[in-house]
Formats: sequence, C-alpha cells, structure tokens
Amino acid sequence: MLDAFREVVTVDFEFTAITGERPIPICVVAHELRSGRRFRIFQDQLETTPPYATGPDVLFVAFYASAELGCYRALGWPMPERILDLFTEFRVHTNMGSKIDQDRRTPNGAGLLGALTYFGIDSMGATEKKEIRKAIGASAWHGHYTPKEILDYCETDVDALDRLLPVMLPQIDLARALLRGRYMAAAAAMEHAGVPIDVPTLELLRMSWTNIQDDLITAIDKDYGVFDGRTFKADRWKQYLLSHGIPWPTTETGALSLDDSTFRQMAKAYPEVSPMRELRSSLSELRLNDLAVGQDHRNRTILSAFRSRTGRNQPSNTKFIFGPSVWLRGLIQPPPGCVVAYVDWSQQEFGIAAALSGDLAMQASYRSGDPYLAFGKQAGAIPPDGTKKTHKSVRELFKQCVLGVQYGMEAEGLAKKIGQPVIVARDLLRAHRDTYRAFWKWSDAALDTAMLTGSLYTVFGWHVHVSETSNPRSLRNFPMQGNGGELMRLAACLATERGIEVCAPVHDAFLICAPFDRLDADIATMRAAMAEASKIVLRGFELGTDVSIVRYPNRYMDERGLTMWNTVTGLLHRPDLRQVA
Amino acid sequence: MTKPSLQTVNPAPSPAGATPDPFDPANLRLSQSFVETAGVKKLLTTVPVRKPSPQDFVRVHPSPDYRDNFPIIELKDEREEYIVTAGLVPELNGEFVTKTLFLAINRQNTLFFWPVRLPAPDGKMLDWWRTAREAAELAMENWVRVKANMNLGAYDIYKAQSTMSDPEWPEQGFWDLIKIAFRDHLITTIDHPVIKRLRGQA
Repeated sequence: MLDAFREVVTVDFEFTAITGERPIPICVVAHELRSGRRFRIFQDQLETTPPYATGPDVLFVAFYASAELGCYRALGWPMPERILDLFTEFRVHTNMGSKIDQDRRTPNGAGLLGALTYFGIDSMGATEKKEIRKAIGASAWHGHYTPKEILDYCETDVDALDRLLPVMLPQIDLARALLRGRYMAAAAAMEHAGVPIDVPTLELLRMSWTNIQDDLITAIDKDYGVFDGRTFKADRWKQYLLSHGIPWPTTETGALSLDDSTFRQMAKAYPEVSPMRELRSSLSELRLNDLAVGQDHRNRTILSAFRSRTGRNQPSNTKFIFGPSVWLRGLIQPPPGCVVAYVDWSQQEFGIAAALSGDLAMQASYRSGDPYLAFGKQAGAIPPDGTKKTHKSVRELFKQCVLGVQYGMEAEGLAKKIGQPVIVARDLLRAHRDTYRAFWKWSDAALDTAMLTGSLYTVFGWHVHVSETSNPRSLRNFPMQGNGGELMRLAACLATERGIEVCAPVHDAFLICAPFDRLDADIATMRAAMAEASKIVLRGFELGTDVSIVRYPNRYMDERGLTMWNTVTGLLHRPDLRQVA
Repeated sequence: MTKPSLQTVNPAPSPAGATPDPFDPANLRLSQSFVETAGVKKLLTTVPVRKPSPQDFVRVHPSPDYRDNFPIIELKDEREEYIVTAGLVPELNGEFVTKTLFLAINRQNTLFFWPVRLPAPDGKMLDWWRTAREAAELAMENWVRVKANMNLGAYDIYKAQSTMSDPEWPEQGFWDLIKIAFRDHLITTIDHPVIKRLRGQA
C-alpha cells in the first residue's frame, strides 16, 4: 500500500508543554523506513526545516500527529503533505458505540501502549516512563537527564511506531486516513493560534471568585428563591417551575432531574432557566485556575481530535474556554487592532439530515432559512403566509419537535419539553414522519445498516462499531453528528491552509481572529471554506453560515450567559474587592 | 469493521490538467445512501379485516384495482369473516353476504380491509351499509372518521379539515394482500369447519 511513497518517515518529538503555552520542542527522532536512516536531533541542532525528506511523495507517520505538528508550527517548519496518524486510525478501528464496549475493546486505552497491546505487539520499551516524561513536559529535565537519555526515550516511541505501522496497515483505508491526518495539521494550527482572552479580567476573577460566591448566589437567586445558603433546594425549584409553568424532566423515581445536562437542555427551550444553570454549573464545576491561558493571552489546550464517538474533538471542559460555563466566554476579547468572528453553520444538523437523506421537503425547508416555520407550513399547521411573528407559538412547537427528533426524543419526552399533553407531542412527531418520509426511511435504514453490518460510517470513513449495548438513538443520530464532524474537519483544513487564523472549533462553528484591515477578506475566506466543505460532504448541498463579529475592545458574549456575566462583573467591581485586587 | 474499499493511490498531486488528485476529498466520499445499502424491507404479514375504529381517521385506496366484491360468511360471535370461493357459491346461497373489500389505512399506517355490505338480493340497502359506502368513497380523497350513530341507524361521517399528507400505500398488489388477510379464512370445500358449524354438523 505504501509502494507509491518514495520515503516513509516515522516521527516523534519530545517537547515542553506548559499549560496554555505553545509546545517547546526538545528533540525529534525520525526513522526513514525504506533506507533505514535514523535522525536524532536535539533542541540546539533543530534547523528551519525537517532533517528528513519532505513533499507529496513522503509519508509522515506519527501517533497523535497534532502534537508533532504543533512542534512543526513552533519551529516554523512547513507542514508535511501526507500525514498518517496511527492514533486516529486506531480510533477508527476500535471506536465503539458505547463506553462499556469501548472499555472492553480497548482496556488499555487509545494511547500508543494501548494500540500495541491491542495488536499483540511487544510493548517493551514503549512503557511510559513517567518521571522523564514529566520532567520533559514541565521543562525540568535540565540537570536530571542528558540529551542522549531524552533522545533514547524519544526513540522508544519511534521504534514502537515502526512495529505498529506494518501491523495496522492492512486495516487502514489509506486515502481517507490521509484526510484525517490532514486534519491533525489543522488541529495543530488551531491549537497554535488559541483563543484571545482578557487576562486582566480573568486574573481579577480568579482572585475574587471565592469571595463573590455568596453574593453571586444572592444576586442570581433573587429571581428564583431556590437557594438556602449555598444549598440548592429541589423542592423550591419545583415550586419555581410550577409557578412559571415550565415543564421539567423527571428521573425514573419521579424526582426532578437535576443534572447539568438537563439544565443545559432546558435552558435552550426556556432561556429564563439559563442564569440558574450557569450559576449551578459554575459553583460546582468551575475551576478558573484550570483555564489554560498562555503568556500571549491565548487560551490553548489540546483539542483532542477524534476522541469522541462521533469523531469530533473532545477538549477538556475545564481547560477550554468553550467548556460548559457559557458566561465565561465573556472573557474572550480580540487583541488591540483585531476582531474575532464567530462563524457558524445555520441549522447544521437539520441541513445534513436533509442533504444526506435526499428528502426534498426537508431540503426545501432548510433552504427557506427558517426550517421550523417551513415545517409548520408543510404540515399544514401554519398558513403559507404565516410568519415567525404571526405564528410564534406554533412555530416554537415545531421547532421543539425538529430538535427533539434530532436527539431521538419520543412523545413523552417531547410532551414534557413543550409542556403539552402527550397527544400533542405524538401528533407533532407524526407530522414530522409524514412530512419528511424520505428522511425517516433513510434514518430507519441507517439503523438497519448499523445492526446488520455492525457499524456505521461517515462520508470519509469514520466508523462507529455496534454491539448489544449501543444506543439506537445515538446510532440514528450518528450520520448527522459524524458527518457534522467531517464538515468541521474539512472546513478547518481548508481555512487554515488558506491562512485564516482559526482560534478554535466550537461544535458547529469556528472562532477566527483577524486584524481590522483583513476582517472582510478573512470572513469571506472562512465562509467560502465552510461552503466548499459542505458541498463536498453533502453531495453538492450547501449549508449556509452566519457570522457574529466582535471588535476590540468589545468582548464576545453568548447571550445564554449574559445575566451571569453582568452579575459577576458587577460584583467584581465592588469597592472592597477592587481593593483586594 | 466494514472496511471501505481500498484503492490504489498515487501520492503525488498531478500537474494541472492531468488526472485528479486522489487525495482530493471530493474523490473520497463514501455513499450515505443507507436505504440502498441496508437492503431491509418491512414485511407485511398481517392485514386485518375490520371496520375502522371510531377514533381512526382513514383513507381508502382510490384505485379500482384495490377493491372488489366477495361472497363472505360472517361469524358474528368471533367477529371473523371468511371468503367463499366461487365454486361453492351456488351451494351456499343464503349463507353468505356480498361485501366490497376496500383497502384502507389509518394514520398509524396500519393497513386493513374495510368490508362494506352491498345491497341484499332483494335490493334492500340499510342506512348502515349506505353510509359506510359513502364514507369509503369519501375516504378515497380525504381523511375520514366514521362513528356508529345508534339513534340514526347509520354512520356519522367526519372529514378532517386540516391538511394531512396522503398515505403511503404498499407496493403489493390487491390479490397479494387478500391472500395475506384471508390465508386462514378461505372456504374452499363444503366440509370446511365453518360450513359444518353453520349446518349444525360440527
């Protein structure tokens, strides 16, 4: 399979990885497998280009390549043109539809050692040597390890790669594997860029967070009355929900479901819930010191590409600014002279479903610009001349139905969400099935395919393997989520290769940064990359994009977190806290 | 895992105007046409024979190919209907009635045969039969609900006012569906248990 490549190079870097900072390469070891040449280059001898051959006929092989490519970025080396990432291919090979099965299939994890063990390859030498690894990562190796020891350590991983490659090769769909490898270069570019952060405000927040919590609870809770001191009282929450007519999911025992995921979902349907959700998640989960911000005032953490079941990124919730506490996103602020733009795909999941299922009614609905209103019209519940204004409440029902279907919601769940009797929810779901029959036929067939063949795959071959513990709702949703991941990856490749400073991928959007004078051009390039990606992934169907622009000195804000942000910043500027700061 | 077919690749991009780059994502797309690849077809194994339930909105297949008249023996206690084959009709005169079997479907996509009486040999046509037939005809173009009105001695017919999508009819032909519906309810010989029971021989 590799005959066409003039050279095949297995590569590993050791580098210092200080939280929030770009990697600092310590050494590189590479093996050229055809000639047997070996390259061992320490920090002080690293030059402006790699020591081995480059070009389209050279295959670059690594395990979790975005780390190596981050070092390429730091060194200013040109990116390899053909990248084969054995981590990614190991994930493709072993990605399971449920956590239980994932743990069973890869009991030793998805790291290099886990892959060697999985394939029954001798892992001697590749065993993690924690001490040296820790010392290198923290830049504390000086005086403890010699360059030779570090190079030897680095080479054990390259030796392991040399053993792993021939064993994995027959399992690899090379052309698509190289596309995944290409994304690792894009991931490295995004990690290199990072998200610009208002560090003075972050520092103030870090210093004051403990002191403001009581006042914060008082300030937010004045609209709810559910806290007793620092304790959230479920019975008071129930009273609040009853008095505001908000339906709420319950557990099997009938108690209110109070996990963060429920709060997050409900906050989407009932924005008034948002401040309480933000408060609760911040009080329980917020670890401001974990937010990874470098000296250059950029939030940067490993994106963990291909870590999720659907192949999407899975960055750390606490280190990444786009973690669960949306109000914290107010810390995002473009540097002087710059803007940040949030470019997101409009109704990405609905559009993917419409395109891939070939459902013409759904496609027409997507193209209308307001699929919820269009669905209501197609189902006969809203007259042809109805608008978002004239039929607000009906549109809302159809919107919740569309969103519910995407998550595999059934009548009972939808009824709770919309606060209507089950019969109303059932009729809505039936209207969806009636209106979008081709979609449902395709969705049923996707599930059948999964159960018959044991796996589902995206347009570029990201697989999820099925077992008896796989959740049918997740499997139904996989083509949308998985192909949404393909869209994101391809768009990220196109944009970063065209020179756009992509700060981060955010589910179905990108945050980019540009100087004032390049704003229009960069946004146009970004949108063109996203349009091109959607046309390739979706067989010519183009998904639209929306843009929100934030100019320095303004800050980015997610409206779900606005109340919380204003309350927190109001408290931060209390005279007593200002003195402490 | 289901491995996508492998292809021979040329790693170097071609000069302009030559063969396309094999790594161009546009050339790497795998089909997502699961309907074609899954090859799964829902089998129709049961087609009930009954009147529409009073809550059901139903449609009747508009094609004349999907309705026909049959000699039918009703076992009222069991609520079962048996078709009598043509050869037995002369021998069973008076035992059967003639009904039109309309292919119908409800909003839950349940397919069924709706039996509606034809006039008796003396031309007598009860209002029950007449209104049922009217409803079946109306249901060829509209979603219709029928409910027995005992005071009236006829069916009340309700037509859905809102726009509801047309039903999806099965691919099978009428006779295939009849075979499914009546596979155990076909009287082909005079010593069939139903005939014996009617004649007090069972």
